Amino acid sequence: MRSGRTLLVVSIITRAGVVLLLCFLALLTNYHNLKQAYNNPRLVELSEGRPMRVFYEKTDALFSAFGDPAEEAQKNGGMTWSIRIGGIPFTDPVAALSVLVKSHRWELGFGLGLIIPLSLALLFGRVFCAYVCPASLLFFTISRIRRLVAKFFWLPECSLHRGFCWGILAGGLITALWIGHGVWTLALPYFALGQTLFHGIAYGGISFSLGSLVVFGLLDLMMGRQFTCRYVCPTGRLLGAIGSRSVFALRHQAGDCVDTCTSCIDVCPMKVQPKFDETRDCSMCGECLTICPTRCLSIGLRKPLSKVDSISCHE
Amino acid sequence: MELSRLGFLRAFVAGAILPLFYPLLGRLGAKTRRGRKLLRPPGAKPEDQFLRDCIACGQCANVCPNKCITLVGLEAGIENLGTPRIDARAQGCILCMACTRVCPTQALEKLEPTEEGKRAVRMGLAFVSEDHCYSFAGRTCGVCYRACPLPGEAMTLGLYETPTVHTGHCVGCGLCEQACVQMPQAIRVVPLSDSDRISVLRAQPKGTKKPASRWKQGPRWDEEPSP
Repeated sequence: MRSGRTLLVVSIITRAGVVLLLCFLALLTNYHNLKQAYNNPRLVELSEGRPMRVFYEKTDALFSAFGDPAEEAQKNGGMTWSIRIGGIPFTDPVAALSVLVKSHRWELGFGLGLIIPLSLALLFGRVFCAYVCPASLLFFTISRIRRLVAKFFWLPECSLHRGFCWGILAGGLITALWIGHGVWTLALPYFALGQTLFHGIAYGGISFSLGSLVVFGLLDLMMGRQFTCRYVCPTGRLLGAIGSRSVFALRHQAGDCVDTCTSCIDVCPMKVQPKFDETRDCSMCGECLTICPTRCLSIGLRKPLSKVDSISCHE
Repeated sequence: MELSRLGFLRAFVAGAILPLFYPLLGRLGAKTRRGRKLLRPPGAKPEDQFLRDCIACGQCANVCPNKCITLVGLEAGIENLGTPRIDARAQGCILCMACTRVCPTQALEKLEPTEEGKRAVRMGLAFVSEDHCYSFAGRTCGVCYRACPLPGEAMTLGLYETPTVHTGHCVGCGLCEQACVQMPQAIRVVPLSDSDRISVLRAQPKGTKKPASRWKQGPRWDEEPSP
């Protein structure tokens, strides 16, 4: 795969799809509730012209196409933390870790939910961040705004050591053990976004997670491009570590590459160095493929470790 | 190499300390309700076990057809953040057991939506305030009895339809509290984990100058259920 633009478009579409899915699940809760209520003829009579009645009537055609809402709600539900789609469970690896730490056991469905996320990470590396994570769509938008703002004002580009993410993971697990899983609601951007969407749509209120989301957004705007993804989010770091020897990876053909060009390194939101085959934490977002002037980058099977590499690793 | 290890360690420690500050955030909005137990959905394990298992994924709130399950904000401290609760005065639980079947970590144990399943629920316990209740003042009401999913077992009526809650049978669904016509409500559901600390309810409602009301307390939990 060489077309970076295709990857970019696909990544935006899939992430927007995830955001829409979260909104849809919250709307399904509303619809399910109203459907129960409007089984009562007296209520139907009383509610003529009320906003909720209007919502029910407008969405009835849409939702009844999916079947019985009670059954649908059993099959589909949750947020990016732990979600069921069509009866298939998906579990966040950080959720699985913190449950393991706190209650020392996994339910069958909960454990099975790890299969798809982990195999995705083992196959493609950190693709969750560029193709699934709903918060990363927000941060992607902010990074474009940042690019605009940077034309007029100087904005700092900070960097932290990778250990910071591991620290947040460890600290979060300790806090979860100490006071409960509530801490992840604030510490993980995609979880905060899911909570905010659900509160906004299902209850019509503002969740406290919105505050956490604003903090992450400001970090991204002020401190550096996709700062939260790179240096704060423990899930991304964990998936990056799991997928550090993934089957598919970004490949670099040294023959075509111009020595003095560093455009792929400059453009990368994850600060990986495709030019030097240093592709840990690559989320396959396709930005470098778009910018490379000689088109020497591609996504394909990972190159086997050459002898030179393995020697330099030991030193 | 040594330098990068030191850098890793420094960043690691800095990162690990940061989440430990989150509990402080929880203290911002939690002056009044801190330490108060919440009414949990049906099938919930004992409170400490429940908090250990619940990952705040919101699937129970998503599936609830009655929308009685809400996700807690910061008002009850960070340990409860995002966990499900039922505000019985706003919306009682209709015991459809949909939430128990979707819980991924079994923080809510699976229950069947049958009569036996209904009777197996132990969410809380209803307490009647004789001072507030219309029926105890001699005006026949009985609304709570008509809302009760287990009439005749969990609640029986006396003279002028005065309600009596039978603790061995009351499941704590909160439909009686939702239905109560009195303001403030004369019947309240207390979470099971909190029912021994009835003193919370003895606190005066805001704006009243009456002495703290007497809450009629049924027999204790460990006693045999009354027939």
